[in-house]
Amino acid sequence: MPYLASDKIAVIDLATGSVEELPLSEELLNSRIGGAAVAQALYAEHEEGDPLVLGAGLLTGTLLSGSSLGLISGKSPRTGALAHAPLTLYAGLEIKYSGFDYIVIKGRSAEPVYLWVHDGIADIEPAAEIWNADVWTATQEVRKAMGDELIQTLVAGPAAVAGSPLGQVMINFWASGDRFGLGSALAAKNVKLVALRGMGLIEINDPEAYVAACVGLLGELKSGGWAGKKGLMDLAAGLGEADFAAWLAPLAHRHRAGFNTPFAANTFVFLEGDPKELKEPAAPEPGVLLTDLDAPLSLMKLGLDAKEACAIIRDCAKAGLDAAGLAELAAAGGVKDAAGVRGLMSAGDAPASGPAGPFSPCAPDKAAFADFGQGGPEWWRRRMALAYVFGLDPVFALMSPQIDEAKLIELAEVGAGLSIAPATLEQVLSGLAG
Amino acid sequence: MGIKIDPGKCTACMACELACGYHRDDAFALLSACIIAYRARELKDYFGVVLKEEDTLVIARPEGLEVKRIGAVEEDQGEADASAKPMLLREPCDLCADREGGPLCQTVCPVDAIYQG
Repeated sequence: MPYLASDKIAVIDLATGSVEELPLSEELLNSRIGGAAVAQALYAEHEEGDPLVLGAGLLTGTLLSGSSLGLISGKSPRTGALAHAPLTLYAGLEIKYSGFDYIVIKGRSAEPVYLWVHDGIADIEPAAEIWNADVWTATQEVRKAMGDELIQTLVAGPAAVAGSPLGQVMINFWASGDRFGLGSALAAKNVKLVALRGMGLIEINDPEAYVAACVGLLGELKSGGWAGKKGLMDLAAGLGEADFAAWLAPLAHRHRAGFNTPFAANTFVFLEGDPKELKEPAAPEPGVLLTDLDAPLSLMKLGLDAKEACAIIRDCAKAGLDAAGLAELAAAGGVKDAAGVRGLMSAGDAPASGPAGPFSPCAPDKAAFADFGQGGPEWWRRRMALAYVFGLDPVFALMSPQIDEAKLIELAEVGAGLSIAPATLEQVLSGLAG
Repeated sequence: MGIKIDPGKCTACMACELACGYHRDDAFALLSACIIAYRARELKDYFGVVLKEEDTLVIARPEGLEVKRIGAVEEDQGEADASAKPMLLREPCDLCADREGGPLCQTVCPVDAIYQG
């Protein structure tokens, strides 16, 4: 049995309502390592069913700093090509511990359903009652029905149900890194959401050595440029966007990290109440978690004030609409006010061209707080491929040159018992990054 | 001496929780950790850390620390319960007594929100 894995793939055929469980073969791991590379292979294997593949990186959900990445891979409604979108916060963790390493969702259900994946079981449940619900309501309803507030959901909101090319896969209540319209691809299968809960146990090849290596690496990482910084305001400053911090600061509450990710790249903003107040707010829904720099930054550049922009992002979060794509659409159309942006929300349009390449542009196009000694699109794609194979948060991957290819090969050997030849890694990364 | 938590620094990354689970199980798991990030109230951005000690439950809320006697917590359930296994059923913190470097949760916290004092 492989280490750092559950040794199980679920193949959910929505057309027949069947769930097949397959072992995670050593051959697949040896040739593809993990994450997006395995998802790519599973996509090809089940291509006749236009699959969406959920998975996690080889080292996701471990003590490796930044190992938060889950992913959803599938044919993008925006680009028509296979795309990989990152699922961070706690979604990757729950996928990893759900009892399945990968979940292939193929075909189309005759009726609206949701998928309940937990403890090595994948169930198909009716979803007629929540089909038209907004993202926030759908998540709350499923958690209430299961009696577990920690269930993580991947949701297709009303925008996705309506078939918008900007229909985003949402994580619980918030935007994911999906810029490919994969929420609409999920809804096109008549799937409202995937509910995930993982209480499994992941065995380690050499526990002491793996933990020691992770602890040693964290020691090196803590001397990096990100140390002492957190949130989207610091991230923007690190990328040279000097005006963003002052624009957002009056609304900023706290900063939240994804699972075991040293840099907290998510900032919660209050739209009602005092953002400096630390006690539990009385308002049930005081604001929104900003999980992606592009959306607020682009809306700022259109000329919106922070409160208007964040209110739009909150409404996009409820609708399951890609706010960064919306802002891009507004910019292309010369829109310069909140009313104009809101007018585009229900139009069902998308920018003329989708993201270039298979990886989400939610990660900045250059390093932050760090010098990798190289840069440019080719370097970025290879860095993303590395992150999506091993399970690193794609934003943190751009801050952490200490987590290099040699270190990940070493951790794969010690943690997963997987010997990766440099030539294999080269083949896997080239096969993903092009 | 015991574990102390600075809730102002915590970013709810759960590294401490996984480290504690590893200390208990020699594998990666979360159910046996005696320190957890409570994160169920995400719509309110209200999160912190709960630590079970021998006789007390330490709740590191954003606005400050609260320490409850275990018996008192049993009466009102405290924050215990957005997790699959209630805190009161878990083993209390032993400061990773078998580990040379001290508590692993402290070692792996990337923002130094956990310390001893």
